[in-house]
Amino acid sequence: MRTMIAERKREKRCVVDALVVACTRVCREHVALELSIREFPASEPGQFLELLCRATNAAEPALRAWTDDGFPSLVNSELSTQQPFLRRPFSIADRWSAADDTVRLGVISRTVGAGTRWLEGLKSGDTLSLTGPLGRGFRIPSRETPVVLIGGGVGLPPLLYLTRRLAELGHRDVTAIFGATTRDLLPLRFTGDVSCDGAPAACIEWPGTASFPTIITTDDGTLGLRGRVTDGLSAWHARRSAATRNAVVMACGPDAMLRAVARVTRERGLDCQLCIERNMGCGLGTCLSCVVRVRDAAQPAGWRWALACSEGPVFARDELLDYSA
Amino acid sequence: MAYAFTRVNASTGYVIGWNSARRDQAGPRKKVDNSSPETVTPGRALTAPLRPVMLAVMDVSSDPTPDPRLRVNLGGLDLRNPVLTASGTCGYGPELADLLDYRRLGGFTTKSVTLEERPGNDPQRVVEVRAGLLNAIGLANVGLQRFLVEKLPFIRTMPTVVLVNVAGQRVEDYVAVAAALDEHACIAGIELNVSCPNVADGLSFGTNPVRLRQVVAAVRKELRRAKLVVKLSPNVTDIAELARAAVDGGAQILSLVNTYVGLSIDPDTWRPRLANVTGGLSGPAIKPLALYNVHRVYREVARPAGIPIIGMGGIQNAADAVEFLLAGAAAVAVGTTLFVDPTAPLKIAAGLAEYLTARGLPHVAALTGQLQLGAAENCTPTAHVPS
Repeated sequence: MRTMIAERKREKRCVVDALVVACTRVCREHVALELSIREFPASEPGQFLELLCRATNAAEPALRAWTDDGFPSLVNSELSTQQPFLRRPFSIADRWSAADDTVRLGVISRTVGAGTRWLEGLKSGDTLSLTGPLGRGFRIPSRETPVVLIGGGVGLPPLLYLTRRLAELGHRDVTAIFGATTRDLLPLRFTGDVSCDGAPAACIEWPGTASFPTIITTDDGTLGLRGRVTDGLSAWHARRSAATRNAVVMACGPDAMLRAVARVTRERGLDCQLCIERNMGCGLGTCLSCVVRVRDAAQPAGWRWALACSEGPVFARDELLDYSA
Repeated sequence: MAYAFTRVNASTGYVIGWNSARRDQAGPRKKVDNSSPETVTPGRALTAPLRPVMLAVMDVSSDPTPDPRLRVNLGGLDLRNPVLTASGTCGYGPELADLLDYRRLGGFTTKSVTLEERPGNDPQRVVEVRAGLLNAIGLANVGLQRFLVEKLPFIRTMPTVVLVNVAGQRVEDYVAVAAALDEHACIAGIELNVSCPNVADGLSFGTNPVRLRQVVAAVRKELRRAKLVVKLSPNVTDIAELARAAVDGGAQILSLVNTYVGLSIDPDTWRPRLANVTGGLSGPAIKPLALYNVHRVYREVARPAGIPIIGMGGIQNAADAVEFLLAGAAAVAVGTTLFVDPTAPLKIAAGLAEYLTARGLPHVAALTGQLQLGAAENCTPTAHVPS
């Protein structure tokens, strides 16, 4: 039975101020945020948050300290050129309940611009406005189904949340294949057991939820198997081919990687879900900017635009026109 | 029983809540000078010219906390507060229903509807720019027939005033869509989008006064019930000329501004960042430009003609809304800011109420068009604007 994503209903979303519990650097360009919220709607791996990468009250008229002969201080958001206006989408990297009964959310951010630079400067005790949970997540198969998680670089976070969920649901046959161009762009911490011949090993120290056997790949060979995540997938498949007929691959990463994963999984007859990334204005289904072509037999052209923020970001490979050809 | 502070137009007998008070009795906070016998208590003088007028019993059961000071009559549309959503930033209603409490919203303007379904432009469709957003969606929408079947049932349940934005390429298209929508009582008004910069031929109605008057008149003739709002493009030499054409054609309300045509280029690839090459600029970046246009249209056309303005362009908070009201708007719309905070219209309405309280003003209509252009030495700006 092939995965069908589109039929699911949307859970309730909310806009809340979260408390920053910790902001920790995990590798050269990534920080991990731990956020605390009193209540948060049910979420699933693959769903995402829209983070306001500036002070929560920046859109409000800041205190205008007028005096009889003075000018107001220039503190309005519109006067601050380095503050991004729009929110930024981030996959939920983890979610758990803390001892104090608050919801904890994990976010992993790679610093690439003004917004993410602001995020990496957050301190414990700061406030961060977020909207979520947004979009539709991975469709998790039955416990007996072998699952392969493929994450590339900035695409790792939703799969880390997924490892927690799969473990909670009692999945035993899970293999993770995590890769990046080089070792210090992997937002993970390792034990000493990373294999460089493509043999899955429990080699991840942080996050602790990623305890399934994992293949690490780097383009430059600085850690694990030298090559791409698809090379890791081939290595996994070579070891397991007899038992993989009904395996499900769940992948997130750059478009080029997702296309390669789509091609390889199709060639090997594996079911596949892809968590895609698009530029988003809102994440709420209203700005209509994050479009992706999906197959639709009812359309004259055989396809239509779908919104990655609402119908996705997780799609079945065969729904997506531009990833499965 | 609900009361609203409004004024009655002496010639027509219509209640016109947006109408401004006399200039000499309105005013910003003056410097308090105890030595002068002519000291003015800030804003308080407005209480006199504005009389409370009892209106028909309005259904307020759906509104948790209606504030009569915010209720405005916008060219015949009874809004519980003067804060609307702007077209193209809030879908058709269901998209934000879990985040934005429509019971507290002044009004809702849908994404454009065209006669035929439109898939929209290729991506990249939006790019963020400093303090704003450049978009080229291309009027992606389901078309009239699917709108009536798929979108209207939800709109029927929305506890707020709903305007449907209508776009087209020929006069007949506008007329056909508007006439079909006029059949449905849940649609309080039609907003004519004559100013979309992102479709071929999209601006031609909005930049040519003769064609604009023609399309507005043709649509107005078809409308039995729904109010006619015309949304003006700022991409013209003299917006007042277009506003005049719209009013001459029969516009009952003007909304402005739509987006400004803009361009963003990737310095690495030397290519435009948007697939459509150009896009429409919105967000805080355009606020001063929009304010200027609102004020110009108010002074030149809307005030003399007695036509209310829905002002928009980069509004993020109550202080921004006050600026638009002072420039001449009777109501405001929040657009791009909804992408950041879908609850912003409610915060702005609440902020306006606080502002009225802080300034001792009896009604939000007391702000419309009250921009002070006289000698400034007796005026000092407000100490604090509630957000």
